[in-house]
Amino acid sequence: MIDFIQMVISGIAVGSSYALMALGMVLIYKASEVPNFVQGEMALLPVFIAYMMIYSYGYSVFIAFFGALFFAMILGCFLEFAVVRRAKNPNILGLIIVTIGLEMILLGLVSWKFGADQRIMPFPISSYSSVMIGDLYISTMDLVTLFVALAIMIVLFLFFRFSKFGVAMKATQQNPTAARLMGIRTNRVKMVTWGISATVGTVSGLLLAPVIMEPYMMWNPMLKGFAGAVVGGMTSLPGAVFGAYIVGVVEHLFGGYVSMDFKAVVAFAVIVIVLCVKPSGLFARHYVKKV
Amino acid sequence: MTFFAVEDLSMTFGGLKALDKVSFEITRGEIFAVIGPNGAGKTTLFNCINGIYPPTGGDIVFKNNNIRGLKPDRVAKAGIARTFQNIELFSNMNTMENIMIGRHLFMKTGLLRGGLMWGRRSFAGKEEIENRRKVEQIIDLLELQTFRSKFVGGLPYGIQKKIELGRALAAEPELLLLDEPCAGMNAEEKQDVVFWIKDIQDELGITILLIEHDMNMVMDISNRILVLNFGRPIAMGVPDEVSVHPEVLKAYLGEDDADDASGP
Amino acid sequence: MKKTLFAVLFGALVVFGMLSTGYCEIGVTDTEIHIGQWSPQSGPAAAWGAVARGTDAYFKWINANGGIHGRKLVHHYFDDGYNPARTIAGVKQLQEQRGMFAWVGGVGTAPGLAVKEYLMQKKIPWIGPAAGSWHWVTPPQKYLFNVYPLYLGDAQLLVEHAAKKMGKKSIAVVYQEDDYGEQGLAGTKHMLEKYNMELAAAVPVAMGDSDMRPHAMRLSRSNADAVLLFISPVAASRIIGIGKAMNYAPQWMSSSTCGDCPLMIDITQGLYEGVITSSFGMLETGEKVGDLQHINDPKHKLVAEYKKDVYGKFAARDERWGYTFVVGIGLAEPLVEAIKRAGRDLTRERLVEELEKMENFRGVLGRITYGPLDPNNPLTRIGQQELFLHQCTADGGSRILTNWIETEYIPMGH
Ligand SMILES: Nc1ncnc2c1ncn2[C@@H]1O[C@H](COP(=O)(O)OP(=O)(O)O)[C@@H](O)[C@H]1O
Ligand SMILES: [Mg+2]
Repeated sequence: MIDFIQMVISGIAVGSSYALMALGMVLIYKASEVPNFVQGEMALLPVFIAYMMIYSYGYSVFIAFFGALFFAMILGCFLEFAVVRRAKNPNILGLIIVTIGLEMILLGLVSWKFGADQRIMPFPISSYSSVMIGDLYISTMDLVTLFVALAIMIVLFLFFRFSKFGVAMKATQQNPTAARLMGIRTNRVKMVTWGISATVGTVSGLLLAPVIMEPYMMWNPMLKGFAGAVVGGMTSLPGAVFGAYIVGVVEHLFGGYVSMDFKAVVAFAVIVIVLCVKPSGLFARHYVKKV
Repeated sequence: MTFFAVEDLSMTFGGLKALDKVSFEITRGEIFAVIGPNGAGKTTLFNCINGIYPPTGGDIVFKNNNIRGLKPDRVAKAGIARTFQNIELFSNMNTMENIMIGRHLFMKTGLLRGGLMWGRRSFAGKEEIENRRKVEQIIDLLELQTFRSKFVGGLPYGIQKKIELGRALAAEPELLLLDEPCAGMNAEEKQDVVFWIKDIQDELGITILLIEHDMNMVMDISNRILVLNFGRPIAMGVPDEVSVHPEVLKAYLGEDDADDASGP
Repeated sequence: MKKTLFAVLFGALVVFGMLSTGYCEIGVTDTEIHIGQWSPQSGPAAAWGAVARGTDAYFKWINANGGIHGRKLVHHYFDDGYNPARTIAGVKQLQEQRGMFAWVGGVGTAPGLAVKEYLMQKKIPWIGPAAGSWHWVTPPQKYLFNVYPLYLGDAQLLVEHAAKKMGKKSIAVVYQEDDYGEQGLAGTKHMLEKYNMELAAAVPVAMGDSDMRPHAMRLSRSNADAVLLFISPVAASRIIGIGKAMNYAPQWMSSSTCGDCPLMIDITQGLYEGVITSSFGMLETGEKVGDLQHINDPKHKLVAEYKKDVYGKFAARDERWGYTFVVGIGLAEPLVEAIKRAGRDLTRERLVEELEKMENFRGVLGRITYGPLDPNNPLTRIGQQELFLHQCTADGGSRILTNWIETEYIPMGH
């Protein structure tokens, strides 16, 4: 029993970083209708920028992290504005290929600029301390990640529910033509959405970096976040979060009780099962979109 | 000063001339109708005015400014709102939310201040209250109270049309474009719509550019009428003139009264 | 008439060409010897790219010192991204368009396996694949000379040390799901059988998995008091870190793959202190058991020289001085030595002859010995079989725990 609880706790811990990636992907899916495979690298580059700010320019961790988040915002906006928007007659396959291309470019850029050596991001909290509750443990870093993730989710939910921009985004997603006629600058909405998405992903990256930094660090969280987003129906923010935590917990239970060999790929089995049972994902709300 | 004018407006799709040198002018406060058979280019005219399509030729002047080629959100900002022949609502939102989006232009609170809305007396709070008051007025005017918090996707067609009208009004436009507001309605509903359109003109002082199929209705409420056929203007004038115009009669004789389905 | 003229011209060209090079070994000219190598300079395995850069700097240093018998070594290395399809394509291209005399190093079992057939069929010497794999010597191939010790040996030394020297009662192993990890597992099992011990846990790590929490938990539940790691430095750092967070503190032990103490101390933020790892070079052993050394201040004379001259003068500015870089030198040393011994009349057959005669050759790695090819005896091509143990200290130094120890070859599929 204690093992089971421990696995669930650890699953939730790892699920937090998946959840942030999943949120980022869903935001972009809602805005541009593309599974965004550059999600990980939109976080990777800012994380390395933060590292550079600390070690090459001597900024404090605090400032460097804000710098990274700000840079992520710009980067996300830039990618939408300069690349995604330029796609002529975009279809989903074409857009996927665009995001994969961007992924390769950004990954190449980071590998080229920073090399393949593993590094550690300085962080005020030790990556290896933990809180013990009886026989259960949770690492302090995981706990911080969990709280930050929850805080970001709450802020995002409130933001999209109540802010002018949130409403504009919802409108854009449901009916872009009508949205524009209401004076909503749908292009700008999409662009800023990419920026927000990159920023959310970067938070996840910054929280992973104190353990280890290398160019491929975001790949696994991105794939698992994607799995979580699909489980949640790809268009629902709460669904994405829930799906990501499901993926994390299932991975850990599967690794613990069934087979460690397939732990890393069980997420994709979860996708298949969910899609078989409920093809639109667990949380998808169906609305008829008129053209 | 010119309130609204279209000058030599042309729009071609491939080889098809959907609009061919269309010109007319509307004075403030009137109800101006555009009629014509299916495929005559009426909806295309609206789409050009709105900026959904960039016209291939000609000018569109609104309050002395050339608005031709402006993006839809700019046109909206300039004070032109519209409804669609085929309903274009945000179907996954409720009535209140849909109409509220019509207020988007009046929400000055940007990203940052929107996040800093601490209660009713704050700037954002006051703005919100004002917007809600306006929306409630519109809901009352159009008698939409019972549907206030219902998702619009499942509501009857006639109600959806009204909500769309409400959303357009929420933007407080100076010029309102209505694309077949009575399409698909029964006689009683149509009568209602006629009243509202008159109310809108009288009480809110909004100028109306109307597309309608129903000749009787058009004759009833329009100050002036433009007749289009195959993209070309064939007649323009007060209802009595137009209704006896030989070309109009000719164009309308072969016409069955089916709803056309082409939208933007 | 025209045709004959053409033929004569062509013949003259060929003869002239042969005269100018002296003789006709591929990849060898009067002034140059062309050596090929692949390595991942990009992609998930890019950290291993330093192997090829080590070889490259080493060759440049040799050339700067006059080359070998009047010839310069021309090193052609390309980035295969650890992708076997790219390895084979790149090797074929270089071999067929430029003509390599021999191949050296080459990171990874999978990329190496992709080109082994090709090189062996064409009778092209390949010295020192940068991965310790059974496949290089099972069965032994005439033109393939292994240098990198098999990971089986690492397991043997580590288990012996844990069970006999340290009196550990319960040993677990964490292994990467590939040839490397499986050898570690096989070697561990082999030794435990010998000592009549049970394996406390065998925890596989999938390539690319970055969440090691379940692995660490399974280890801690097994209560193993020594854990052997046959995984990548990143995975090792994660697992030890999570172990620490769980208050699980066995004796961590690792293969030479995670034996770069300065690097490991750095990426584990100091948790690597006290970890015992095997090694096959760079440090000075012999009478130095118990000695404290640091690879940044090498006591090993040759390593010190390489650091000053090869690394100091010929490495890129942001190159890290570490095991991977030095391994790139060590794997090429037997080739360079054999080319020297072969003299001016360098052919592939001469090279193989000289390599086969090599006995107890020592560069920066352990002793290397080959023998005349015996298809039933892998030892004729295995090269190095000795290793030693050291323990990382807090500042990235190494405490030498053993002298060189000869390991046993365990046949594949044991
Ligand atoms: N986006 C478009 N692409 C091509 N042809 C179009 C497009 N929109 C409208 N048309 C064509 O333009 C003509 C006028 O259409 P429309 O303006 O919808 O007519 P209506 O007067 O019935 O509203 C029709 O022939 C229609 O097929
Ligand atoms: Mg129409």
